[in-house]
Amino acid sequence: MQEYVLLMVGAALVNNVILARFLGLCSFMGVTTRLDTAIGMGLATTFVITVSSMLNWGAQEYLLDPYGLGYLRTVVFILVIAAAVQFTEMTVRKVSPPLFQMLGIYLPLITTNCAVLGVALLVVEGKMGLLGATLFGFASSVGYSLVMVIFAGLRERLALADVPRLFAGPPIGFIVASLLALAFMGFSGISTH
Amino acid sequence: MNAEPDDLALDATPALVEGTARVVALDGDTVWLEPEPRSGCGTCASAGMCGAKGIGTAANRIEARRFPLHDRLGLTVGERVVVGVPENALLKATGAVYAVPLAAALGAGAVAQWAAGSDGVTLVAMIAGLALGMLVARLGAGRLGTRGDLAPRLLRRAAPGETCERD
Repeated sequence: MQEYVLLMVGAALVNNVILARFLGLCSFMGVTTRLDTAIGMGLATTFVITVSSMLNWGAQEYLLDPYGLGYLRTVVFILVIAAAVQFTEMTVRKVSPPLFQMLGIYLPLITTNCAVLGVALLVVEGKMGLLGATLFGFASSVGYSLVMVIFAGLRERLALADVPRLFAGPPIGFIVASLLALAFMGFSGISTH
Repeated sequence: MNAEPDDLALDATPALVEGTARVVALDGDTVWLEPEPRSGCGTCASAGMCGAKGIGTAANRIEARRFPLHDRLGLTVGERVVVGVPENALLKATGAVYAVPLAAALGAGAVAQWAAGSDGVTLVAMIAGLALGMLVARLGAGRLGTRGDLAPRLLRRAAPGETCERD
């Protein structure tokens, strides 16, 4: 139990997927101008990363390893991720068309989010069991969502601040992101994962 | 004199999440709207190189998201309007669609791992939990829909050049 808790804290805070591993930076800068889009993107990404971690673990364990197809890992993982996103989109559309109108736009963006593939590859590298892999994927994506929401909140406040013209927009965004990364470095004393 | 940022932030907090849509058809008192794509990462400098833009804005996807609303503004085809959904409805919706199935899958996986200790059994249990969670999500979404929480509201005509993006 303690092992899983440490794994999750390490994945979410210590080795944060955005601020420590530098994955998913396109969505980090592109979808964080509004808090509501950041929340929508964060939750959709959490769902897809967790489900794809589980499925990619299955593909690695029952397809790639037994048949010696490790060199096809990246291609297979991308296929699994794209299929998971399509499945999620279809399901949301079936479950509730109004919800699909509200949330569906984020799903295609996730297919090209390198954080999803990055987490799947980290799971293989870490030689985890299924539950560990899924919890690692879940915690990584919770860390991703947390940073997205914090950064979106900061950018919404920055939009109201009197920023010098040369720094307005992305430049001040990058400065704030670096300060946020420094703040997250404070978690590095918690766990060795 | 500049207002305090805290005051401004409180004043600017929207009760509704707004989006722009275009009128594509009229049917008596009902207008059919097509949401304009909210360019998430499509606006970044490398948009031309990025596959996400093409996928996210494909015409068939936008067409699939057409929705009807009662016309109280006397709209005509081609006009742009601003529609809104309550912010808390968006949070409830994301919770219903994503959190419930995930919690069910993780819970089922944890129980199976504890009871059987086999990764194969855990995988099957997680997939079953995910499916069960989807069913529960469907019921929850149906309840939200019945109460009308998820229905977008027609707010106003969009001003020329108005978008919902804040730069």
